[in-house]
Amino acid sequence: MTNKKKGNAFTNNPIVRAIGVQKIVVVVVLILLLVFFSVKSTSFWSYASLLSIMDYTYYLAFLGIGVTFCLITGGVDLSIGTGMFCYALAGGFLITKMDLPVIVGILVTLAMGIVVGLANGLIVSKGGHAPFLATLCTMMIVRGLGAIITGGSSITWPIAGTPEGWTRNLFKFTLPSGTKVPLGFLWVLLAAIIMSLFLNKTRPGRYIIAIGSNKEATRLSGINVAKYQTLAYLICGFFTGLAALAYSSAFQSMTPGGGGGVELNAIGGAIIGGTSMSGGSGTIAGTILGVFIMSILQTGLPKVGLQANYQQIIIGVVLLVAVYIDVLKNKKLS
Amino acid sequence: MKKKLLAALISVAMVATLLAGCGGGGDEAETTTETTDTAETEETADAAETEETADADAAATGDLHLEIVSKGLQHAYWQAVLNGVNSKAEELGVSVNFVGPDSESNIQQQVQQLETALNANPSAIGLAALDTNSVMDLLQTAVDSGIPIVGFDSGVPGAPEGAIVANCSTDNLAAGATAADEVYALISDRIANAEGTVRIGVVAQDATSESVVNRGVGFITEMGKLVTEAGKTVGMASVSNERYVTDSAIEVNDEADVVIEVRVPASVTSELSAADASAILEQEDTIAIYGSNEHSANGIITANENLNKCGTGEGQVVAAGFDSGASIMNAVRSGVFAGAITQAPVAMGERLVETLVAAANGETVEDIDTGCQWYTAENMDDPEIAQNLYE
Repeated sequence: MTNKKKGNAFTNNPIVRAIGVQKIVVVVVLILLLVFFSVKSTSFWSYASLLSIMDYTYYLAFLGIGVTFCLITGGVDLSIGTGMFCYALAGGFLITKMDLPVIVGILVTLAMGIVVGLANGLIVSKGGHAPFLATLCTMMIVRGLGAIITGGSSITWPIAGTPEGWTRNLFKFTLPSGTKVPLGFLWVLLAAIIMSLFLNKTRPGRYIIAIGSNKEATRLSGINVAKYQTLAYLICGFFTGLAALAYSSAFQSMTPGGGGGVELNAIGGAIIGGTSMSGGSGTIAGTILGVFIMSILQTGLPKVGLQANYQQIIIGVVLLVAVYIDVLKNKKLS
Repeated sequence: MKKKLLAALISVAMVATLLAGCGGGGDEAETTTETTDTAETEETADAAETEETADADAAATGDLHLEIVSKGLQHAYWQAVLNGVNSKAEELGVSVNFVGPDSESNIQQQVQQLETALNANPSAIGLAALDTNSVMDLLQTAVDSGIPIVGFDSGVPGAPEGAIVANCSTDNLAAGATAADEVYALISDRIANAEGTVRIGVVAQDATSESVVNRGVGFITEMGKLVTEAGKTVGMASVSNERYVTDSAIEVNDEADVVIEVRVPASVTSELSAADASAILEQEDTIAIYGSNEHSANGIITANENLNKCGTGEGQVVAAGFDSGASIMNAVRSGVFAGAITQAPVAMGERLVETLVAAANGETVEDIDTGCQWYTAENMDDPEIAQNLYE
């Protein structure tokens, strides 16, 4: 409670306290980034640019929402990047190579996410493995699985404009006039609201936070820790399945063995948004804001005349700053 | 009780989905084994046959048996190579056994297949190695037992001198140059009449793979040559990847009449390629863009879905791709891409058999460019081109 006493006029303001300091900082950074890119690149402030940012945001937001649950328990899920590719490859394979209905492909994609999430949860909660190691192993497993299922070839989900291509319309709807509507934003918003309510207003959600805050105390108060820990990973798996649908709808093709590194963008988004690496705190709204920073950086940096390798460095530095803020926050609390 | 019932139901549903998922994979695996099995049985049968015939007819007809180890079997590309191999083998009256591993990461399986191929004591072997180092010993065995090996597709990069007698592969520099010729024909007027700088973009997957780099460099070098011949100056954009600038030997100059901008994403992911393609397409002076493989061309398609700038009409950006696949073929058919380059796997299979037969007969053989084709909405249904395209 020392941080309250130490706070200045800004942090003691009731409105600021209600929203959270980090979220306000993130929003300010977000606005600064938008201003910076608009000044540096004439093409940034356009509708097409907004559409590209959205394409990039959907899958990252789903991954971010899911992994926030793992992070809040004090764990992590590293299998979400390669998992997303694996499930999308499997679903796409059934649709395009086995000629099964699109809905079957979607259900298998989601089911695989749930099954792998459940497996991750059980290995961590019942098996007692460190989340980092357990999900690193499943990351390798799903990477291999994706390549085996498709026989090593890349997969394209049915393309826009074909009867089977309706999944793409769910995320980017083309009006008769030709204007494209980023419909996917609606689903991301809906998912964020539902999961935010689940996390903060329901018993299982509060238990998940409690586990990350103090696992032993949670156990002693009679809560089935293993059950709710597993639930967090299962939710993460389900959202990875949703991300797979968003990714295969926004982009052309997936290559077996791909997706590595994507998980770090999602985890980075969550951390920028104020989710603590050590568990016990985090919000879905923060994650969504953090994911927006990641996608604006990833889509904006190429436009200002920076070579790809410099872009990586900048994103790395941004993440480093976010993690440092998290470390400072934890120090203050203790 | 209710809860238990629910839990049981959920578990059943999960197991069911798991089984369904595995079912798909299982079938796949089964067919794979079947293919390999039949291939193996065929192979052993062939081997036995060859041995028999070797004794009986060796002097009389000189029947040849060829072993070909590819990098895969399932993918449509390898099926197209196999079609070329089969038709040419029939024409020349030689027996061929064509095998390949289940996936391009299954190096061990390919090594075993090459070993089996060597044991069959064939007249010659065709090889597209997944990993040269793993087959080094076997290459030596082949040299020792006097079995010539001909590389195909990506060949056997870094093989010791003398181990590979020839390569049948796409000349990627030439293929990139063909793309430049075709694109230039569509934009030459705009370059000639331009008042300020015009920009030509290249999206490349990486700056490490030899084939990918050569397809880009071939395009840039040829484009530079054509522009210079037309009396205009050419320069590379300062944001371009260094490897491409060095290899194409065109100097960085953002003020030239024609500026070529090469973008290479930091990692091979669709969203980064799309972001790079967007950055090129969004510049007002961009008149053409080229994606040097399926991945990069797909990045251009994704970017264009939002920007809607590509096409061959007045003021639109002329776009070109490389390879086929559902998205690129659709882009070519619908006019988003002016055209794309495809390799010629069928011709590759044919040239490979010819070269193997020549090598088996002790003739001197040399590297062969198996060629490429520029396909457009008009010609992509011609059988000559359609046989090389796959979704």
